[in-house]
Amino acid sequence: MQPPGPGEAKEQETRGRSFSSLLRSSTALGWAAAFLAPAAISSLDALSSRPSYQLAGFLYLLAVSLAAYLGGFAAGLVAAVLSTLGLDFFFTPPRYDFIPANGDQGAGVALFFVVAILISQLFERRRQVQRQAEAASARANRLQAVTARLAEAVTPQQVLDAIVTEGVEAAEARAGAIGLLTADGETIEIVAQRGYERNIFVGWETFPLAGDTPMATAIREDTPFFFSSSAERNAAFPPMAGLGGPSHALAILPLVVEGRAIGGIAFTFPTEIEFDAERRALKATLAQQAAQTIERVRLYEAERALRQRMTFLADASELLGSSLDYEATLAQLARLAVPEMATWCSVDMVGQDGSIQRLAVAHEDPDRVAWAESLGAEYPPDPDQPMGVPNVIRTMTAEFVPEITDELLVEAAQGDERLLEIVRELGLRSAITVPLIARGRALGALSLIRDDTAPRYTELDLDLASELARRAASAVDNAILYREAERRGDASRALAHVDDGVVLLDEEGAVVSVNPAAARILSVDSAAVVGETALGSIGGWSEIEENARPSRGQTRGPVTLPLILSDGTERWVSVSGVDFGDGVVYAFRDETEERLLERTRSDFVATASHELRTPLSAVLGAVKTLQRNDVALNSDDREMLMSMIESEAERLSGIVGQILLTGQLEAGRLPLEHEHFDPVELTKSVVDSAELHLPSGIELRVQAAADVPAVSGDPNQLRQVLANLVDNAIKYSPQGGDVELRLNRNGQFARIEVADRGLGIPLDEQERIFEKFYRLDPALTRGVNGTGLGLYISKELVERMNGRISVDSEPGRGSTFVVEVPLAV
Amino acid sequence: MTAQTQRADPARLLVLVADDEPPIRLLCQVNLAVAGMDVLQAADGGEAIELARSSAPDLILLDLMMPRVDGWTVAEELGADERTRDIPIVFLTARATTEDRRRAEKLGALGYILKPFDPVRLAPLVTQVVERCARGEADALRKERSPQLWPADLEG
Repeated sequence: MQPPGPGEAKEQETRGRSFSSLLRSSTALGWAAAFLAPAAISSLDALSSRPSYQLAGFLYLLAVSLAAYLGGFAAGLVAAVLSTLGLDFFFTPPRYDFIPANGDQGAGVALFFVVAILISQLFERRRQVQRQAEAASARANRLQAVTARLAEAVTPQQVLDAIVTEGVEAAEARAGAIGLLTADGETIEIVAQRGYERNIFVGWETFPLAGDTPMATAIREDTPFFFSSSAERNAAFPPMAGLGGPSHALAILPLVVEGRAIGGIAFTFPTEIEFDAERRALKATLAQQAAQTIERVRLYEAERALRQRMTFLADASELLGSSLDYEATLAQLARLAVPEMATWCSVDMVGQDGSIQRLAVAHEDPDRVAWAESLGAEYPPDPDQPMGVPNVIRTMTAEFVPEITDELLVEAAQGDERLLEIVRELGLRSAITVPLIARGRALGALSLIRDDTAPRYTELDLDLASELARRAASAVDNAILYREAERRGDASRALAHVDDGVVLLDEEGAVVSVNPAAARILSVDSAAVVGETALGSIGGWSEIEENARPSRGQTRGPVTLPLILSDGTERWVSVSGVDFGDGVVYAFRDETEERLLERTRSDFVATASHELRTPLSAVLGAVKTLQRNDVALNSDDREMLMSMIESEAERLSGIVGQILLTGQLEAGRLPLEHEHFDPVELTKSVVDSAELHLPSGIELRVQAAADVPAVSGDPNQLRQVLANLVDNAIKYSPQGGDVELRLNRNGQFARIEVADRGLGIPLDEQERIFEKFYRLDPALTRGVNGTGLGLYISKELVERMNGRISVDSEPGRGSTFVVEVPLAV
Repeated sequence: MTAQTQRADPARLLVLVADDEPPIRLLCQVNLAVAGMDVLQAADGGEAIELARSSAPDLILLDLMMPRVDGWTVAEELGADERTRDIPIVFLTARATTEDRRRAEKLGALGYILKPFDPVRLAPLVTQVVERCARGEADALRKERSPQLWPADLEG
């Protein structure tokens, strides 16, 4: 049905109003004419040329006609009486008295009354017809007004308001109500009412369609009920007796769209009335209009909601895909949902420890958000809570509460009066909580809540929320996976560069990863051991297992262990283990060198202190002896002591010199000369010096080839090297024997050999004797002193002269040290 | 070294000094001689055992670190030999560890003098040890642990 436009309706309304006002004013004019017109005619008597009896009689007749026409029968009658009196008093001789004169006069008076009656009757019928037309028009106008307002209505609330406000008036009713079938089709809900006493619907907000009530029956049976009185109603519906005050009429009609009942409308009248066909038809029309408009708006509303949902879902999807910072994205999503989708929207996430943390709360009003956040901090979610977010996360099932009842609030508050008061104050109406599930795990939950300013949620909203949660969970999961991948990537990149070895084992003890440092420290090929058990594939792992394996969730170590590795080498390794539930991480540090250095260093301290102590005690003792004044020393003793002091002081200075030299070599601060000199001459001078302190049983010999050319280097340092080698040769020849120095040319080098027939050096030690602080096994060289620095210094010096030094030896048969120095060019 | 195998004068004390360091032997020689003692010198452990057996000295000043045969071996060998077991031994060494001193104690040493030592005090110590041992007070002397004969452990 196409309702008339608002402009047209208004025009009709204006016309109707002028007609009724004219009707009212003509009656008044009639009465005015009834009194004034006869009086005016009577006043003509005062004129000098006074009208004749005939003329006056005619004028009075006109006055009666006018009054009867305008004012009706009563006015006409009054005008006729006044006219009769006026005509008799003023214009009928004898004038100025009321004595009737003749039959003419009587005929005139009769005429007045006949005219008054005829005219008034004639126009009274017309007026009645007009009045009826006017009433019908007014009703039509009211209907038009209802239609007009309905046309403007876009929300269900406006529709219901228009129907009830205008419709009640149009139906001449005192009050009205509309009930609609709910989504389940089983219940009728009073969605709007007007004109009733307060509280009349308490307990009647909803009632079952199957019930024995007028509206339920009207809807069920698609039949209107018209009750002229309360008694009539009570007779049909006994349970209704006693309701609704004094006896009155009641009309209840089903709201039907395309043959389908969507609800019912009730009109309550102030008094008992009879429902004639016209009244019934009007009510039916109203009901029909209401039904169609409600349906139209419902469709419109549904379409609008659908469009809004689609838009929201599209916006949300775009938002979710826009960033990997899912915390920020979810907070934005919550803001996107208000106020259209929800009055309140919140997102809660499950933390690493399983606790539930609120990620975001959104509301139109930032103050409310702040308030909600502080309230959330005050009431942290209890994971065991039987409903709400914890329950949704725990059960991974959505919670849909279309109608938040007070009982529900009381239950949720769990006896906290203050909390109950707060949630009651919020006026929460409807709620949806959906879990965010990815890969079978609840990541969190999304909550949508509407208060009583917004419509209740429907199944459609639940579907939308579920879809939204699905997309959000997938986005969050992607972001988490990406982050983890990135972190793992970072971690393995970082692990490749750390010096510490890191080995990751899974719960079963199989190797998951081995970084390059660990592969080096443990002497394994990482590709070969990954996937194998550590015990079976990494040498020495049983030692690690025994001493560094942490118990579940614990950390153990670090401990330093000597490990025999797969390739047979021994290595000191510092190990610590951390069990992180899914496996164990072991960290390794190779301490072999530190250990060796530590040992040689402490050996050196012991050796050096002994080496220093012996000459020191000799010098000190000699000085004390020389200072004796209790006895007289003979001159030989004095002489011997003096020369002993000199030689021991030299020895001391030599040891100190070696230590200092080592320091300089290590710091790279030893300046070397580069001179050309004759190696043969230098060797002979070294031998000459050594001869001075030569022990018995040792002989020094020099054998030089004829063609040894000059060499390039630092002669003083080379002298030191040779002196040291000669000194060693003597020292390690305790049984005596010859020490031979041989010189010859070897390519671009001069070759100087120092050969003894002493203790010799085991093969496995020949490499190490040039190391700092290294000394031969004391069991073999018992009593042979030295700092362990001489050969180290020799090697360093020779190499700095671009020469080389080596040894060839056989235990028990002696050693030959070879020094080669580059020839001068 | 002095190859003296017979006592020149039975009234003078005969002391054997075993040390591979000639300066130490010289210090002992000079200071004991001015106190009226005769001194035998050994440059290593083997020589020391030989001289102890052949000369029966009144006391041995024994270094620990000597080539081939060290001081421990000398003390063990002499302690195991009937003829030499009663010769008082005083170690004269640079090795200052507690462990070494316990070992010396177990071997029945009467003193453990640390290098560097005061050679001037050497003769009175030798006289004291020899006289107390001659009176059969060797065990008492060991128990006394006089600070001159058992100086404090410098290296802890």
